Formats: sequence, C-alpha cells, structure tokens
Amino acid sequence: MHVLLADDDAVRAVALMRVLAAVPGLTLSRLQSGQLLADAVAVHAPDVVIVDMARPDRDALDGVRRVTEANPRPIVMFVDQDDPDFMEAAISAGVCSYNVAGVPPPDMRPILRAAIALFRRHKEAQDELRTVQNRLEERGMVDRAKALLIRERRMTEPDAYRWLRRRAMASGRRIPEIARDLLHDSGKAQP
Amino acid sequence: MSQPVRIGLLRLADSAPVLVAANRGLFEDCGIAVQISVEPSWANIADKLIYGLLDAAVMLPPLALACTLGLRGVRAPLLVPMGISEGGNSVVLSSDVAAAVGGETGAIATGRRFAAWAHAQPEPPRLAVVHVFSTHNLLLRYWLAACGADPDRDVRIVSVPPELVVTAMAEGAVAGFCAGAPWGTVAEEQGAGRVALGSSEIWASHPEKCLAVRAAWAADNPLVLQGLLRALLRAGRVCDGGAQAEAVADLLGPEFLGLSRTACRAALPGGDAREHLCFHAPAVWFPWRGHASWFLGQMTRWGWLDGIAEQDERAAVQSYRPDLLEPVARSEGLNWPDEARHPQRRHRGAWIWEADPGPINMRADAFCDD
Repeated sequence: MHVLLADDDAVRAVALMRVLAAVPGLTLSRLQSGQLLADAVAVHAPDVVIVDMARPDRDALDGVRRVTEANPRPIVMFVDQDDPDFMEAAISAGVCSYNVAGVPPPDMRPILRAAIALFRRHKEAQDELRTVQNRLEERGMVDRAKALLIRERRMTEPDAYRWLRRRAMASGRRIPEIARDLLHDSGKAQP
Repeated sequence: MSQPVRIGLLRLADSAPVLVAANRGLFEDCGIAVQISVEPSWANIADKLIYGLLDAAVMLPPLALACTLGLRGVRAPLLVPMGISEGGNSVVLSSDVAAAVGGETGAIATGRRFAAWAHAQPEPPRLAVVHVFSTHNLLLRYWLAACGADPDRDVRIVSVPPELVVTAMAEGAVAGFCAGAPWGTVAEEQGAGRVALGSSEIWASHPEKCLAVRAAWAADNPLVLQGLLRALLRAGRVCDGGAQAEAVADLLGPEFLGLSRTACRAALPGGDAREHLCFHAPAVWFPWRGHASWFLGQMTRWGWLDGIAEQDERAAVQSYRPDLLEPVARSEGLNWPDEARHPQRRHRGAWIWEADPGPINMRADAFCDD
C-alpha cells in the first residue's frame, strides 16, 4: 500500500514517516513543499493520502473524482461511520486521511491513530511554547512598567511592584494587563 | 450566557458581517457570545460542522446542500436560516488569455469568444474554482454552457484555493479562475490577469454566501440561534451602508483577516471594482427555497446528484428555513416576503415583491441568457 503524506511541517512529517516506516507492506512518499495536493495525487497515485488539515488546498480533494481525468479513481475521505468520536479526535488534532476508491479499503485506523497522536503532541508542544512565550513577554512588560515607575515617579522597585499589584486588585485584572496599559499610555508599549 | 457559538469563516470579503458584529458588540447586544474560527479551507468548515467542532459558518450554499445530501463524506443535516451576501465573485482570465479573448463586452459575447479560444487549444484549458460544490463553479458552468462551451469537455475545472490561484495563473498553470472578493482585484493589482466579468453579469443579484448551522445545534439552542440571526441582520445593514465601507475594509484588511485592504474596499459598496458585494438590501437575508432548488437543479444538470432519491432532494430544499428567521426579521422591522407569491426570479429590471407589512423594492435578477 502506498501512502502519500501531505504535511509541510518537516519535523512532524519526518516523525510520522518514521512511525509508518515500521508498518510492513507500506511504501511512503511525501508531498514536496510548494506542490499542490491535487498534482501530487496525480503524480504519486497513492492508495491513501494523509493530510494536514491546515492546508488550504485540501479543497482540491473534495472534487478530485470530477476533475482529474488522468487519474479518474475517486478519492474519498476516510470516515469511520461507527465511531464519530474517532473522527472528532482526528479533526481536532488537525489531520485527516483519504482512501483512493477502487482499491480494497485498508484498515486505516492504526495508521490514522498514529497520525492523530503525532499531530496532537505537536499541537500541545506548540501551545506550550506559546504559553512560555506569553509568560516571557508578560514578564518583560512588567519589568518595563516597573522601570518606568522607578524612573518617572521615583519609586523604589518594591513600591513599583506594589503600585501595579494594588491597581490590579482594585480593577480585578492581572498585573501584566495593568503593566501593558501603563506602557501603552506612556507610549512605551514596544520594547 | 451559554457556551459561545463557534462560527467558522474563510479569509474572504463576504465574511464581513460576522467580523462587524464581533467588532461592534452586536453579538453581546443580542445576548450571545461568539468564538470566531478562521479556517483554511471549505473542507475544514464542512468537516467541523459535520463532526460538531463548529456550530455555524459562513457557507457556500451548494456545499451546505452537499453535506445535507451526504455527497462528501457522511450525511450531516445542516440548516440554512439566512442569506449572508449577494454577488461579489469575478471571472478572471490570465493576461495572455484576456488579450486573446479581448474586448469589454457583455457576458455572452465575452463567453462566446472565450469558447472559441478554448476550442482552438490543443488541450482543454484549466479554469480554477474554490471548491467543487461552490456558487463559483455552478455560475461559471452556467455561463460557459450559455456561451456554447461544455464545462466538462471544452475546459477542465479544478479546485485551487484563492490565495494560491493568482500565482497559479501567473505561472500559466490555469488560464483563469472564478473566485470571491477580493481575489479578482488582487489578480489585477498583481498584473496576473483581468476581470472578464462579474458573477452578477451571469445571474443578477445571485445568492452568494449563506449562514449554515448544524441542525442538532439549532434544535438545542433556539434562543441563541435567534440572537445570532438578529446580530447578523444588524451587521449586514452596517456592511451595506457606504459610510461604513472604510471601517469594514480595515477589519477585512490589517485589523483582522489580513486581506488586501484596497482590493476589499473596491468590492464593498461605493468601491470601484467591476463586481460588488451586497449584504442586506433589498432581501439578501431571505433564505429562498427557490435558490436551493436552483442550486440542486444545476447539480443535477452536471450529473452530481445521480443516485440521489428525489425525496432526499426535496428534503434538502426544506433545509432552507425562512420560518426560523421570520420572527427575528419582523421584530427588526423588516418587511417579510411570501416566497409562494414569487417562485420565479427572472426579472430583467426592478420589481416589487409583495411583503408584510409593506412591499419590498427588488432589483433585477435575470440570468445572462434570459
């Protein structure tokens, strides 16, 4: 069985290729970056396509049976009719797969399950990275707001922090938000 | 307040009413919270509606019908309680093809010359649309057929996302495309091609995007749905007011979707594009079952409904639900029309639609071959 992987994220794609390479009887190809999904399907003639749902050209597969005369085998999204939760897990992880009809449908679940796990882990790592970044940005903002208070209002550092905390408590908001407003008002929001 | 309504949209100018409603607090005024999800593809919108990861979306009407009929994946009943926009699509030809086809003329004359050019090519030229089940595809096919070109033999229609189609055309991979605003103007701005005609020249005042909601969600959340419809009715009115066009273009451009601001502005009321979007007047919001029938009729014409039972097709027409909009529209002071009184829409000029309490002054709604 020939699997085409359409994922422009190199790290994730390589990781998934490594997992799938261990499955006996599976040959793999990967979409070249910049290549349109429909063209790659025509070139590689895969039995199964695994697609990153963030790709805008995924729409091309919805109509492929009507548009590719060169390769008229219809492509249908793998749908597990009996297990909507499985499909929901795939979609919320951001990955889906298509079977090329006309060949006996393979059991896609183990393959898709591996893809779901990888996509989910990738997403969690990215979310975590974003949280770390946000936290760093927020800390930078609080530091800059404190420096501003020390410089322009001649406060000590503990006083500046207390000033921010008092404002935050009084308005029911977080200290970084107070810091952001203060920097914004003084025209120093940018680092 | 209940769970926020998860509403999906694409990076297109006709997403404006949802952005305006969010930006101006119209959703809050109507007692609902909304979570906007900007999706990369129509397939994502459809799949997320089907599997309950979205509750509502700004949708292509033929795709909503295709989901309801199970033409792409599982069958998932969607409802269409409201129209979002009319017009706004452009048929664009690459600079070379436009030069060969030539001339500023009406839709039929341009189409005949395009058909003659296509017949003379060694291979059928490729034309791109945004999705197989799109208004764009059905209008493009209608136009080609009306001009003597067979859309399945004389050209090859492929699906290419709008943000890639301008480059694809510049590289010669497609001869032209039909897509929504702002992509026609973007192609002209980049010197890749020329707008040969607007979709309103194929079918005047044609329905473009609709609101689609998951039937199960609508049944569980009738009051939230009413709030959503009310906010979008008010937002459509804002988008139609020429005075707001600059602010709306800001939202579509730098402030939210990151589209070309000038190209979006050109397609909004008072803009200088050949084709314009319309969001409210005279009755854009009304979910005509006649529109559903027209879309299904065209899908039948191209053989896409082979194997679909007639009763399923009739049920799909019933997925358009004016009854859900009626109480909201009436309480917003709109005249409520009676579709049974005007099942046919092929007026070459302005016409008057009987409505309650007062009539609605409608615009022309004829086809290019009427």
